[in-house]
Amino acid sequence: MIQKNKAHQASFRDPSGYVFKDGDTLRRCIQPIYFKQYRQLKSSGFFEQLIKKGLLIPHEETTVSEEEIVITPEQIPFITQPYEWSFEQYKHAALLTLQIHKYALSKGFILKDASVYNVTFHWGKPIFLDTLSFDIYEEGTPWRAYKQFIMHFFGPLVLAKYHGTEVFKMMQTHIDGIPVKLIASLLPRKSKWNSTLFTNIHLLAKMEQKHSEDYEVKTRVAKLSKKSQQNILENLFDFIKNLKLNETTEWGNYYTKTNYDASAFDKKKQMVHTWVTALAPQRLVDIGGNDGTFARTVLKDVSHVMVSDIDSAAVEQNYLESRRNGETNMVPFVCDVLQPAPGIGFNNTERDSLINRLKEYAPDVTLALALIHHITLSGNVPFEKSAEFFASFSKYLILEFPKRGDSWVDSLLKRKREFIHHFDFYNVENFEQGYTAYFDVHKKETVPGTNRILYLLKRK
Amino acid sequence: MRFFLMIHLYFDPGLGAMIVQAIVAAAAGVLLFSKNVMYKVKAFFGLTKKADDTYDSIDIEEDETQEHDSKK
Repeated sequence: MIQKNKAHQASFRDPSGYVFKDGDTLRRCIQPIYFKQYRQLKSSGFFEQLIKKGLLIPHEETTVSEEEIVITPEQIPFITQPYEWSFEQYKHAALLTLQIHKYALSKGFILKDASVYNVTFHWGKPIFLDTLSFDIYEEGTPWRAYKQFIMHFFGPLVLAKYHGTEVFKMMQTHIDGIPVKLIASLLPRKSKWNSTLFTNIHLLAKMEQKHSEDYEVKTRVAKLSKKSQQNILENLFDFIKNLKLNETTEWGNYYTKTNYDASAFDKKKQMVHTWVTALAPQRLVDIGGNDGTFARTVLKDVSHVMVSDIDSAAVEQNYLESRRNGETNMVPFVCDVLQPAPGIGFNNTERDSLINRLKEYAPDVTLALALIHHITLSGNVPFEKSAEFFASFSKYLILEFPKRGDSWVDSLLKRKREFIHHFDFYNVENFEQGYTAYFDVHKKETVPGTNRILYLLKRK
Repeated sequence: MRFFLMIHLYFDPGLGAMIVQAIVAAAAGVLLFSKNVMYKVKAFFGLTKKADDTYDSIDIEEDETQEHDSKK
């Protein structure tokens, strides 16, 4: 018997159906208003094809009645949001959306919306989540989701090209995508000389402005042939495919700048591997995991791994590496621990905060390697506070504490200049005092050849 | 029919955005045509390279045996 505990907080915009939780299982309810489309998408083999190609999340029909159809999609352990993606991830999500819409058109359907929230990363690749985002194509109609695609995908990507991936964070303040006029105003003047940017952004912004007082909603007067629509899609696809960031984001390659030698590095890897596998975790999150070097040592032993880093270039490096290796159980994402993604949208609940998503994900183990000195010394976060943060979502915590004398710590301290003595509290005793308020120390070992201590902590 | 429209219009597609698509498509058509000509010229001189990346083409392979970016 299906129990509808609660409709999902993000699921109210589209009248075709909604997502709800049945215990821990996420299900999707389809309303009679969408039965015709659903049945056609199903009987034509369209869903089957997209699922087979790994483009759409697989689902099973759970119940069918005259009032509603309930389907159960494959469960995704963790949903990353667009403002947590690296450039290549965002690009791939956009390209996937265009591929799906073009394929839909060829089968007599359309993508009726092009929201960036319809895509997330699963099985090491972007995947389309919203099974009800399709509709039947009406001959000669333009793409209704065109402007949405520009606001959700094309605009942010083009802006990132000129201003860097920080631009993606604008999506946190614009849940419906970045307004076209704003995109146009943020682009350099020379972008008007590019026919794709001129037509898809500058001209669109102008036309939107001109028709902004369209009280009669004469949307249906515009006509566009299927071939023309395909041209728009193909051109956007080619343009996005070739987009590159202007800033030289040669990946930082942090590990070449480590202050310890290769043997200490290998020893640290070995310790992490031994400690993690002894706990036999199902889910692990690596906070500040750079390009996933340490997470990769346990990838074969843990069924699902999340790796975050503040550096978008490191996350991208990790994503590309994971694609090259064909890894399917790791999701890289961008996260600034000092400013994790907030809850956004209506009631601040449409898109959940990172903290809530982490709590729901409930990792068995959290890795925080060479992170605490950044949190404490760059972010001025007291030990008890960061301990409280980690304890809020993780059972076990493997944390590396670089002591005074470690060159990174000393460098961060020097930057405090005349306030350096305000940070005298940064030492092992105070760290342990702060963390034992929330955790028990299970193991404590110095990484050989370094000024760093590795802790295995268990939440009280 | 009312219902059908309601699904479509749960967000505003924007009249300007609907009208502009004809011009966007025309510009895209010109660009795609010229790219196609360039491609043929390059192909004639053997200058094209075959890429096999998942996101190289907008068209999804219809080939039954080939999975798109398959689960490995």
